[in-house]
Amino acid sequence: MSALRVWRAGVFAFALCMLAASLAGRAFAQSEANPAEYQIKAAYVFKFLNYVDWPPQSAADAPLQIGVIGARAMADELTGIVAKRTVNGRPVTVRRLRPGDATAELNLLFVARSESARLADIVAATKDQGTLVVTESAEAPALGSAINFVVEDDKVRFDVAPRAFEKANLKVSARLLTVARKVLPGSS
Amino acid sequence: MRDSKAGLPVALRAAIGLCWLASSAGVSAADDALADLSLEELANIEITSVSRRAERLSQAPASVYVITAEAIRRSGATSLPQALRLAPNLQVAQLDASQYAITARGFNNAIGNKLLVLIDGRTVYTPFFSGVFWDQQDVLLADVQRIEVISGPGATLWGANAVNGVINVITRSAAETEGALVVGAGGSREARLGARYGGAAPGDGHFRVYGLHTRRENTSDENGTSLSDGWDGQQIGFRADWGGTTSGFTLQGDAYRGKTELRNFPFPGFPAAIEASGHNLLARWTRRLDDEATLRVQAYIDHSERDDALLYKPEVDIVDIEFQHALRWSAHKVVWGGGYRRASDDVQPGLFFGFRPPQRNLSWTNLFVQDEIALQRNLDLTLGVKFEHNDYTGTESLPSARLAWKLAADQLVWGALSRAVRAPARLDRDIRLPPNPPFIIAGGPDFVSEVANVAEIGWRAIPRPDLSLSITAFHHDWERLRSGQLPPDAMVQNMISGSTYGLEGWGVWQATSAWRLSAGFTTFRAHLGVNAGSADPVGPSALGNDPDFQWTLRSSLNPWPGHEFDVAVRRVAALPDPVVPAYTALDLRYGWRVTPDFIVSVVGRNLLDGGHAEFGAAPGRSVIPRSVLLHLRWEL
Repeated sequence: MSALRVWRAGVFAFALCMLAASLAGRAFAQSEANPAEYQIKAAYVFKFLNYVDWPPQSAADAPLQIGVIGARAMADELTGIVAKRTVNGRPVTVRRLRPGDATAELNLLFVARSESARLADIVAATKDQGTLVVTESAEAPALGSAINFVVEDDKVRFDVAPRAFEKANLKVSARLLTVARKVLPGSS
Repeated sequence: MRDSKAGLPVALRAAIGLCWLASSAGVSAADDALADLSLEELANIEITSVSRRAERLSQAPASVYVITAEAIRRSGATSLPQALRLAPNLQVAQLDASQYAITARGFNNAIGNKLLVLIDGRTVYTPFFSGVFWDQQDVLLADVQRIEVISGPGATLWGANAVNGVINVITRSAAETEGALVVGAGGSREARLGARYGGAAPGDGHFRVYGLHTRRENTSDENGTSLSDGWDGQQIGFRADWGGTTSGFTLQGDAYRGKTELRNFPFPGFPAAIEASGHNLLARWTRRLDDEATLRVQAYIDHSERDDALLYKPEVDIVDIEFQHALRWSAHKVVWGGGYRRASDDVQPGLFFGFRPPQRNLSWTNLFVQDEIALQRNLDLTLGVKFEHNDYTGTESLPSARLAWKLAADQLVWGALSRAVRAPARLDRDIRLPPNPPFIIAGGPDFVSEVANVAEIGWRAIPRPDLSLSITAFHHDWERLRSGQLPPDAMVQNMISGSTYGLEGWGVWQATSAWRLSAGFTTFRAHLGVNAGSADPVGPSALGNDPDFQWTLRSSLNPWPGHEFDVAVRRVAALPDPVVPAYTALDLRYGWRVTPDFIVSVVGRNLLDGGHAEFGAAPGRSVIPRSVLLHLRWEL
């Protein structure tokens, strides 16, 4: 049996696919690009900024900074939200980050499910920085995330770990705790 | 705290949010009305997204284990079967350098035929024997998003052959694999190099291309004689995605080839290697029809060939088309769909086996419907049935009923009754040993489907955020299992019946933020016998060789940031016939994240013994030796 023939057929099929795909891509580009899930999560993340006592800044109108690792859809949604809004008079900025990028200036860091493998390291890097870590994976609360999204009964809910707030020297508002699906005892 | 629409009634504002969501399917991102809803209103908006399936699986009324990408990385696995060892509900036995016997709930066999295996929706079992050539199935493990392992029948949704389980390998969307990645592994037993590059595709999509090269050293048998099972393989492939998970288009394909060393037997035509090659191309289109319904259409072609001068030389072409429509209607979540599959094969004889006729076209058509009914807020009943038509036995029906009772938010008790069928494969009907008369063994023209009636009950809980547990008890009642006769002219028949039962359980404990412990076990008992009137000289032992129990323990520790220390211990009880002694395997891994994008790790496998057999008859079976491996993983 000719392996070469198969190989050539494979390469040819590949080229054909890329062509077909680029044509098909035009047709599908108009279709919805980001699941409703991130639209809701982005709205939540923006609301969360309202329910945390941020440490006073030198300038009262210094922007609140959000960082997003993974999930471009999330960053896009947030960028749209913060464009026209402020939080207690402070503007909000959104940045996409890669794992390992500096997080020192961030007030809130969202780590997408796709990056949950690196969560332990990412959380370790935010230690003592006053950064609120928001996540969306089941193992995240045990790794030190402060707010973790869960989807339950087709609704986006979140769990809060007050312990993680304490560790970040942040104060969580009672209202956030009442809306939370669960208030977690938190681990070390 | 400001709400710009504070004057509007809550219900109206929620409705605005919902309408906006409903219309969002055709709209680009960056509308932002949701940000003006309150926290409570956000918590009450329902979403419909296929991407939630992984989360849903944790609540599914079935014995499901999900192998995560992180677990694969930290196992140091360099092949798909090695990664499958992470699933506590699978039995994985290595046969030689690259071949494996893998099953769930018993009947393990080099030609095991009761497990359905899919890679990104493409069925990879070989239709002429309903089993998987594991040496022909490779993926770039770094791009695997997760592997779902369902033990027990999945026949209603997945179809015939999903009798004892389903393995679903899911790779990341191309949007999640931007940039370059290089993985290299080299050590005492193998060398592997993989590379991937991902970027933007025209029309706001993403693509990736990858290549793999694998070299596995040969093993030796129990007398220390080298076997010629060393393996060289290459694979290339691509995946491109447009749109998101609920509406989008995916195109992917792979091409591979591989061969063993030259095997020498005192027969004409030798020395010769086993050579395998193949290619496939798949397109999948998913569309959200409205807020409540999604449509999925998928089609693929798959060509594979294998040249084994000793056994047989199959060449198979498969065309597969399926569609699935998911919708919701008051308390019902309905999924229905259908599919058509056609396999054209040409199985030329080897030294031992031939197929008569050598060429055959077979087709399968199916239609299924499943309804998940919310009986009460915490009680879901799932009823489903699949009708599958095959050329040998006509239409088979595969019904199932599942009940899920949510005791609390984090606790689920479930039970299920299912009927699963393994339809005849070419091997059952058309095989001949030797290829020309007089035959010692011949396929049975009257061979019909093997049938399992299965009862399962399970409990799953997350009693604390750092602890998750699952346990399942199963009982399979078997009719018409494959049996033989006394040679010569022994025909394949359906004269074995009986039952199998056992337990499957696992737990994960995140002891601290840097230390995760997991454990799993299975027990298995078989009461199978030859029916009255059968002259089968071998009996049920020809169907599989299974341990009474196995258990695994894993520890994943980050002793300090950037450093990883992993320990895995696995104990497998003795196999009865042929006898394979019990063994305990210890694997260790130390990983160091030198920079955020560069990881070096050292892996040691089978450290406790100099080598052990996992399957087959002494003394000719492979001894799986101790090995050491250096891994490099670099994301650019």
